[in-house]
Amino acid sequence: MTFSFILNGEDVLVKARSADRLVDLLRERFGLLGPLADCRHGACGKCLILLDGRLAPSCMLPAFKVRGREVITLEGFSQTDEYADIKGGFEEAGLELCGFCDNGRILAVAALLERNARPSRDEILGELSAVPCRCADPETLTQAVAAAAERRARRLYHRARQ
Amino acid sequence: MLVSEVHQPRDLSELLSLMRRLPGATLYAGGTELLREQASRYVTLPPELVSIASLLELRQVSLTERFVELGACLTLTEVLELKESALPELLALALRGVATAPIRNLATIGGNLATRSRFMDVWPALACLDALVELRDGSGARWINLNRLADDDGRPAFPAGVLLSRIRIPLERWDAVALRKVGRCGYPSRDSAVFALAARAEKGILAEFRLAFAGERALRLRDVESRILGRRLPLSAKERSAFAVEYREAATVLSPELALRFGTLVDGALDLLSR
Amino acid sequence: MPEGENPRAAQAEPRLSDLLPAGGLQVVTIRSPSPRGRLLGVEAPHLPKGYLLIEARDLPGANRISCFGSELPILAEGRIAFSGEPVALLAGPDTAVLADIVAKVKVRVEEEEPLVNWESFSSEQVAAKRVASLGDPELAFSIADKVVERSYRAEALEHWYSEPQGALASFDYDKLEIRCATQWPYHVRDSVARALGTKPEDVVVRPTRLGAHLDGKLWYPSLLACHAALAAFLGKRSARLLLSREEDFLYSPKRAPEAVALRAALDKSGNLSALDVRMSIHVGAQAPLAEELLSQACLAVQGAYVCPNLRLEGYAVTTNSPPLGAFGGLGAAPAFLAIESLSTELAEAAGMDPIEWKSRNLLRKGSRLLAGDPLKEDTPFDAIAEQLCRASDFRRKWAAYELVRKRRSCRSEGPMRGIGLAFAHQTGVFLSGSGPNSYTVEACLDKDLRLLLKTSAAICKGGIADIWRQSAAEILGIPADKVSIAPPDTDGSPNSGPVTLSRGLSVVNRLVERACTAIQKRRFRDPLPISAKAIHRLPSSSAWEPNRVAGSPLESAAWGGAVVEVELDSWTLEPRTLGLWLCVEGGRIVSHARAASALRAAASAALSSCMRERLAFERGAISREAFLSYETLPLAEVPPILVEFLEAERRSPAKGLGELPFDTVPAAFLSAVSQAAGIHFTTLPLGPDALSALEDA
Repeated sequence: MTFSFILNGEDVLVKARSADRLVDLLRERFGLLGPLADCRHGACGKCLILLDGRLAPSCMLPAFKVRGREVITLEGFSQTDEYADIKGGFEEAGLELCGFCDNGRILAVAALLERNARPSRDEILGELSAVPCRCADPETLTQAVAAAAERRARRLYHRARQ
Repeated sequence: MLVSEVHQPRDLSELLSLMRRLPGATLYAGGTELLREQASRYVTLPPELVSIASLLELRQVSLTERFVELGACLTLTEVLELKESALPELLALALRGVATAPIRNLATIGGNLATRSRFMDVWPALACLDALVELRDGSGARWINLNRLADDDGRPAFPAGVLLSRIRIPLERWDAVALRKVGRCGYPSRDSAVFALAARAEKGILAEFRLAFAGERALRLRDVESRILGRRLPLSAKERSAFAVEYREAATVLSPELALRFGTLVDGALDLLSR
Repeated sequence: MPEGENPRAAQAEPRLSDLLPAGGLQVVTIRSPSPRGRLLGVEAPHLPKGYLLIEARDLPGANRISCFGSELPILAEGRIAFSGEPVALLAGPDTAVLADIVAKVKVRVEEEEPLVNWESFSSEQVAAKRVASLGDPELAFSIADKVVERSYRAEALEHWYSEPQGALASFDYDKLEIRCATQWPYHVRDSVARALGTKPEDVVVRPTRLGAHLDGKLWYPSLLACHAALAAFLGKRSARLLLSREEDFLYSPKRAPEAVALRAALDKSGNLSALDVRMSIHVGAQAPLAEELLSQACLAVQGAYVCPNLRLEGYAVTTNSPPLGAFGGLGAAPAFLAIESLSTELAEAAGMDPIEWKSRNLLRKGSRLLAGDPLKEDTPFDAIAEQLCRASDFRRKWAAYELVRKRRSCRSEGPMRGIGLAFAHQTGVFLSGSGPNSYTVEACLDKDLRLLLKTSAAICKGGIADIWRQSAAEILGIPADKVSIAPPDTDGSPNSGPVTLSRGLSVVNRLVERACTAIQKRRFRDPLPISAKAIHRLPSSSAWEPNRVAGSPLESAAWGGAVVEVELDSWTLEPRTLGLWLCVEGGRIVSHARAASALRAAASAALSSCMRERLAFERGAISREAFLSYETLPLAEVPPILVEFLEAERRSPAKGLGELPFDTVPAAFLSAVSQAAGIHFTTLPLGPDALSALEDA
């Protein structure tokens, strides 16, 4: 089948089989290596993308499910101010991720902060439970997200004042 | 197979027409149940699919003083985002316990109920609340109590060739609700199930008591519930023990591990009524 | 700019999953469907052009890889040792076509009944054995005031590392380049060279990003690298083998389960007078780490306690399960689980609280161990206990929970809580003598006073590399940002051995210091650039011999303790952790924040392994359902973890301490749950039997 969808802000056309998973299309056809194809049953969170603004595991999306919809990968998100807030917060807290879960964790934090500008420890860890990687500890993750939230709040405040 | 025929109806009437024309086609909403056990490079899909997730008629919410009606293709997240007055606490507990947020963003409430191999997380909560489901097929639409989607053996009995289009949940006041998941929480198996409880007292008398437990089989003992009703609280140790025995005897249809877990939970529930 | 300018070289490595050379071959493993038997052959359909089937007879070199004294076949030949054993490889350009072909391949095996029992076993199953004794245990037991017996068990665990395993082999001029995520690049190189019948110098390994590994990538990447290399060599194109997560879960090595039976004697004062240990470690088929796992477990099983009379019999037992091995260390954690859990019971039998009993029985200067020389110094466990008690309010809580436990008649009488404390040490040295015995680090100071460090251990996470840079900078008096680390490629960096047991700190950091010290000594008399090598050679008598290992394996040990507090859910009786405290003496801590973060991450994983991560074998194999249902503890259920350090002298060496949470948290957890439930639990992860016991109680 051939269909179009919006990928990182651009209209794209793709030919795919119904059995193709979106994560493989993104990586192999579009060269977008942010989402990783790992567990392939929605458990590891490494393939997360934003589908119409919501977190979704791209391994659980057969190609036809994105027809006419908007997909944002880490590559697309990395052009945003929100991404800079998150990266800055992570660095400020000294959070070192393993390089495999970054995609899922960054997008999960983005989705969380969009809904909740000042999440609590439980809310942060609840959201990040979608990316169960062993590389980082809960405390540093919490501090990193709190730092990201702080940066985001300051940026929005300054923007509002302009 | 790598290539399936995927139909995308534009509205409910087209969907029903497709269902008549292609009785063997699989309705595909969130797809999480279909793909949950697949971990290979390519997904294996049925040869004919009907994609229904975006149908507006299946995504409506309507709220009255007495009930809330949810379209079956609302995602679990969308249901969770309803305002407090429209979202019974027991349902919210059940929804929050399903997998993770990304999965809840795809999975639909109808999909969670219309399963044929086992009962999923939301089922016991809605069974406790005596929710109704609207079933549609070529002959029209009808509402039935969700509990009737379990057969006499407690196994799922979702009829073939039928669309679950809406869920109607009574909005009642409850003094105590509880939900517990047992077994492997992220992956339904023989030894996993969900336990739901709702109870209400009026002037120290137990006015409502509902207890549902469902995994591969559903267990809800209405006759025991009706005998518990009307009792003065707190229950005596003797009453509690007698009801616990009844529940345990009924639980022998479950696997040994589940029966054990069920017994423990029943004790906890009855303990609540004994304080 | 010196080579390897990027100071965070380890984090700049690409991910294997992202490396997809155009026009290359994909490799799929054909596996035995049976756990044991005679391999009769592989039947494959006619292969399209560009596709090849590779069997053991096609290997140009030896069909063997070596690991810590054991030898394993690269592809099964003649005999099948476990279900899922690689029998052949299928390589070709299109994954969909490969999937179709694989479905039609048949592996014929004349099946035999598999050996699955590892707790009662025959002599043919013994891969390693240790028998040792101290003093006169028989006499001590005969005059004991009390005797306590208990058997403990730690089950298999999945590493759930950051990336499934695999390897990419391609041609780089006259060399074969291997890219894989590995803890041991030189092992990969030597294994591939041997398989291809070529010189090691003809193979270069350029490690990809390692991520969190929990010791699951020690030797297995070498096997997969051999597979990829074979496909590349025979197919004359680059070849990539990347296991799916499911395949990795079902067939790659898991933590070796251990069963430890302890019998302890207390004298009239309640002190430990004798200990009788019988342990068996399930190492699966081919037993690649059997000697080392057993040696480490035997050292650990004495725990933190002095015991003048000790008898030990330990076995590493093979079965027809896939090879089993390391997880957050090399076999010590289950042994600590046993001795520390027993110590809580011994305290109870002696009528003391756990802190008092532990303190009275701690290893001190001059204490004898089952292995090695007597201790040269006191252990810091008293100070660790003091700090933990203060932070967690252990003494008051323990006493309160004991009171509630003794008075409780039913579960509705208030919350069911418990608190446990456990000690452990982390040695940082290999004990069996079967591992590599020489490690090297090179350093080069150039004319611009920039230092380049070369070590194959540079695959470690950025934090360890920063510690090396800081150590080097301090010795040479240069800014840390002038120190860079070369990529850990085997053609550029020397062999620093496997990265495990926190050797990045305990061994490599010291070699960095030695190399830099050597440069510093020459620096003002010799012209720059100056290079220096630091080589560490293990003494030949470092292997475990009955009753001794040369030197003291605890001489450079890190010491730690954990407290875990739990509450049982009043409805489900499942434990919920309320608090977790760690205290560590890890020598000189270069970065407290980093060390604390690493300890907390390990503690989260350790806690998860207590409660959720159940993994069982059926007829020697892991089921698909086990893979789909395997779950780690959600982050939201991990309580705040507080970490404190005992400060060491400024000149103390940095010690490896990353495994201490795996050695301490499970035992503390088990003690806590046992107190909360009023039952002595003995197996982790807690399974259905635990709930039955709770129900019955």
